[in-house]
Amino acid sequence: MPLSPGLVGALQQILGPDGLVLSREGRLVYECDMHTFYKGAPDAVALPLTTEQVQAVVRLCRRERVPIVPRGSGTGLIGGAMAPAGGVMIGLNRMDQILEIDLPNRCATVQPGLINLRLTRAVEDRGWFFAPDPSSQMVSSIGGNVATNAGGPHCLKYGITTNHVLGLEIVTGSGELVRLGGKVVDRAGYDLTGVAVGSEGTFGLVTAVTVRLLHVPEAVKTILATFPSMESASEAVSAIIAAGIIPAALEMLDELMIQAIEAGIGAGYPKGAAAVLLIELDGPRAEVEAQGERAAQICRERGALDVRVARDDQERALLWKGRKEAAGAVGRLAPAYLLQDAVVPRSKLPLIMREVLAIAERHDVQIANVFHAGDGNLHPLILYDDRNPDELARAKAANEELLRACIAMGGTVTGEHGVGLDKAKNLPLQYADADLNFMYRLRGIFDPDRIMNPGKLLPSHPACGEGFRPARPRLPEGTWV
Amino acid sequence: MSVVAGSIASALASIVGHEGVQEDGGARARFAIDGLAPRWVVRPAALEQVGRVLALAWDAGLAVVPRGSGSALELGAPPARVDVVLDLRGLDQVLEYNPDDLTISVQAGVTAGALAARLAPHGQLLPLDPPGAARRTLGGLAATNASGPLRARYGTLRDLLLGVRFVQADGVVTWGGAKVVKSVSGYDVPKLLVGALGTLGVLGELTLRLHPMPDAEAAWLASFRELAAAQAFVARLLDSSVQPSRVELLNGAALEACGAGPAAAGIAVSIATAEAAVRAQGETVALLARAAGGALTRLADGFWAAYERAMAPDGGVLLQVGTLATELATTATEIERAVAAALAGGRATVTGCCPLGSLRAWLPGDDVAAVGTIVARLRAFVAPIGGGVVIRRAPAALRAAVDPWGPVDAGRWALMRGLKDEFDARRVLNPGRFVGGL
Repeated sequence: MPLSPGLVGALQQILGPDGLVLSREGRLVYECDMHTFYKGAPDAVALPLTTEQVQAVVRLCRRERVPIVPRGSGTGLIGGAMAPAGGVMIGLNRMDQILEIDLPNRCATVQPGLINLRLTRAVEDRGWFFAPDPSSQMVSSIGGNVATNAGGPHCLKYGITTNHVLGLEIVTGSGELVRLGGKVVDRAGYDLTGVAVGSEGTFGLVTAVTVRLLHVPEAVKTILATFPSMESASEAVSAIIAAGIIPAALEMLDELMIQAIEAGIGAGYPKGAAAVLLIELDGPRAEVEAQGERAAQICRERGALDVRVARDDQERALLWKGRKEAAGAVGRLAPAYLLQDAVVPRSKLPLIMREVLAIAERHDVQIANVFHAGDGNLHPLILYDDRNPDELARAKAANEELLRACIAMGGTVTGEHGVGLDKAKNLPLQYADADLNFMYRLRGIFDPDRIMNPGKLLPSHPACGEGFRPARPRLPEGTWV
Repeated sequence: MSVVAGSIASALASIVGHEGVQEDGGARARFAIDGLAPRWVVRPAALEQVGRVLALAWDAGLAVVPRGSGSALELGAPPARVDVVLDLRGLDQVLEYNPDDLTISVQAGVTAGALAARLAPHGQLLPLDPPGAARRTLGGLAATNASGPLRARYGTLRDLLLGVRFVQADGVVTWGGAKVVKSVSGYDVPKLLVGALGTLGVLGELTLRLHPMPDAEAAWLASFRELAAAQAFVARLLDSSVQPSRVELLNGAALEACGAGPAAAGIAVSIATAEAAVRAQGETVALLARAAGGALTRLADGFWAAYERAMAPDGGVLLQVGTLATELATTATEIERAVAAALAGGRATVTGCCPLGSLRAWLPGDDVAAVGTIVARLRAFVAPIGGGVVIRRAPAALRAAVDPWGPVDAGRWALMRGLKDEFDARRVLNPGRFVGGL
């Protein structure tokens, strides 16, 4: 349904001539995020410069019950920052200022459109960094990281975005501007900050974020080990953790991925390598030295073909190169892929990798794997040719089966990418009606008219509907009059 | 529909068995909350029973107070009503532990001590060390978001709780979060329940993130002639590559209570990692302490246990003062002055987690008017930096007269009240005890 002329006029009033995109070609730029499968262009794109403008747009849209879709850099992988029901998209990338850097209190306050890496760049010369490091960190915005509760290779040690957010300023779906949390960590009341991080824009729009900054570690050690099988590499992962070592990152690549990378950039992995393990340790120098030696030794004990330790930053970059090129290398294998983000308990890695092979065979698809082995976060890439509908159907079936296998092993649907439109339908695999209903009601507290990013995160499901109540326990006989 | 009042006792007994319900005067007095005796003390043996008890309470309009070890009953305002005390210590099973996953799922009545004993043979720990943690239940620790010195490195249960099975006010058993170390599937419901004092749901099962036990640990005390110098040391330490597991401030009175001092202030720093790194980092700590004019002593191995005991006296008034790492000295000084002024020269025992600016203050008296004056003065002092003061422990009369939580701004308050209205409209769970009388 197109926007009413009155609404468009009011939006123009609020945002000025550069702040509103109405043309068809202009809006099409915003029709999808990096999950290009899901497309839906908004009826208008608002590009506010101030919190006041954000609030005014939300209030206006609420009055007319027009859906609002928040967007940062559009680098999400879940069909989150797109408008399946049209409405007004609010792009926050022009609100990209660092509002305050307070190193003595180890924090910074930034606008949501600030690019993740720019924050680290602003403080690194003084020895500090912002820990969440999604692969998109050169382009993704901190507001987007907050919305999806983004992870990254180094969250094995440092935790995901929520562990680094101290406070939020948000405009809720009801148009209220509220400040949650802040620099002082001890606060009375419910942890509204904690529950708002990862809400994918369904509670409101973040207009400022206070984040924790960390001091750079004294030393970093990067080790690359290649293995003749996924099993031996998975066992090495378990053994490293069991030895009491929590690396900053612990990444794995499988054989298909290795071949694709070799064919492309030639990372120099040895012949016969069926799995690559990339281990990065950071911290006090003596700790890194001791743990690095132990980790390398564990890899050798578990049958590594080759163990290389980077001697300097240049070698370190070289060892990471293959891992960083992975997503691009997949393009050499197939024109398109479905990317999964499920998690299994770490101890189930060997089991799930066998299952992945079996699923690929059953559905006659190729699956390449590059993932955060340390926390059991899989990123299988299910390859297909998008010109062939049959291949897509098989890829989708394999994808679905893989998700179910992960959940059956005690896992979760998404470890760091988020739910969005893509995985909303999968949440009932993991949550019972009562759990979904609790989330549905929780969302209503922040967004009573449910205008914020509709269709995302929560599934279309009876338990996510008005009036649904989960079954209550039976009362004892004779209690009633 | 309504419930026949006289049949409640028998209904409770049919849920948890006769042995699980007490209504004699002795039991009611033992389980009184701030002098308010419950009509029934109910001890469920399974989560499903908690669900049925709450369903009954919801229908009958009973007020239910969930209770763990009973060590934090002096947190919050006195309850508005108490009909049932739900004694959750019977839920004491470890449900799932696979050391390779560094996670464990336990029932809420498991104590931190029992958990530690289960984890130690595998070289793992739940890094949570509030005073008296060993005998406290994990459900209680989560509901009160209790923490200790290790918070400097590992955070609080907010960071350690991965998944939670809880019972809503109307009895519906609900799950939030995940059983794996990394998940963003749906809203982060566990965060909502940590520190909520059981007012949105009764915690039944917790899935926790564990950490490997460090190889070695050593601690040092840097003593200073004035708080400002201690503050300068903290600033240097935080701007260094030292990765301490605990950085605690102790004012003069706290040093004496631990048998250290005399000095105006001390900073106790603990390094826990590989042995060689403990030595190397210890040398850096020594350099930084001397540069700030401090005298450094190596602390004995038992120091943290002694510290924990000294920080958990019976009775008394304990304040939690939220400030900034850069305002430790000014805030601690203000606490000392406020206490000396209101309590006739009395001395406050001030300790706290330096990197997070989280201070604790034990007051040497519990006079209602005097403590009210101190709390008001400290709230005014930290308000400009966004800080607050929570009374973590005090006699009931004091908590009835002085709001133990402090003010919450209108925006956040509307959301908090909205949550309570949505999930406990009948005010079954812990009515009156939480922020703003929720």
